[in-house]
Amino acid sequence: MAQATLPRDDAHGGHDEHGAHARPQTNTGTTNPKLAMWVFLASECLFFGAFIATFLLYRGKSVKGPTPKDVLNIPFTSVTSFILLMSSLTMVLALAAIQRGDHRRFRVWVMATALFGLTFISGQIYEFTEFFRKGLSLKTNVFGSSFFVLTGIHGAHVTVGIIWLLSLWGLSLQGKLHVQNSEAVEIAGLYWHFVDVVWIVIFTVVYLIPK
Amino acid sequence: MSDTTLSDSDDQALLPGTAAERAAEDRAGLAAIAPEAVPLLPGEVVKHPSPFQYVMIAVVLCVLTGFEVAVSYMVGDIPDGLIVALLLAMMAFKFVLVASWYMHLRTDMKIFRRFFIAGGALALTVYVIALTTLHVWD
Repeated sequence: MAQATLPRDDAHGGHDEHGAHARPQTNTGTTNPKLAMWVFLASECLFFGAFIATFLLYRGKSVKGPTPKDVLNIPFTSVTSFILLMSSLTMVLALAAIQRGDHRRFRVWVMATALFGLTFISGQIYEFTEFFRKGLSLKTNVFGSSFFVLTGIHGAHVTVGIIWLLSLWGLSLQGKLHVQNSEAVEIAGLYWHFVDVVWIVIFTVVYLIPK
Repeated sequence: MSDTTLSDSDDQALLPGTAAERAAEDRAGLAAIAPEAVPLLPGEVVKHPSPFQYVMIAVVLCVLTGFEVAVSYMVGDIPDGLIVALLLAMMAFKFVLVASWYMHLRTDMKIFRRFFIAGGALALTVYVIALTTLHVWD
């Protein structure tokens, strides 16, 4: 997409006197970073779709165990899924707080989101360790290969999200994050919620649907 | 965007009402925060939901997740086809709830919705065709 930003006509970097974002002077009517994030998320649908499709392709095709029934722990994964869902709530509360200029609450909510993400990742590491102990690795069978690649790539995305959130927390602590650049928080939030919706699909397809 | 010279107090000065009024509003709880008091973000057409609405969506998501797990334990009690249909329906509903409320697709410009739906629809079409070709549903 061609860079279509026109010169700004105000002295506040695109914000009016109340701190509200003026309509960006682009031919799409929105800022390029936010649009770019949505285009990236659209491409991520195809990226994760490939791994989910591969998992479905190899579902029930393993010639030797362990099989999903032998290793999957639904109650445990339900709890970690619940934690990831709640992290989406704390993320939107963080965005609402920064939009109000409430920096203290923003830091509380964004740190809560990062901690929920860390808890989810810790649960995933524990789960992977348990699977290894039960004899399932990346090379054991097609279930192991497709499962570890799919959930591992999702876990890598969550890890990137945690680093991003902690960076925002640090910027806020240094006084470098303001109402005017709350869009940076919204973009990070979009990424975080996307990781959450991908897990909603993975949780159902990998863990809950019977085979 | 990268104005690093402003302090927290500058941000506060940009908000409507006095500091005491804002503090009183905070004390009244999440439900009292009026979305009208929050400035619009780029691409936002209608005001984002209030924190109270966000919490309500989270409650619905939790209940749905509970139902999903419960349904997954009904193998043998109800037909597998029905279980799969219920799980996929609840998954889709949760997906739409997060995308529309938390990712603000219902209140932001339509261009974002179009990009996201285009990506998702393309992925679904491509992989369903691929899996059908490989007889995964047989």
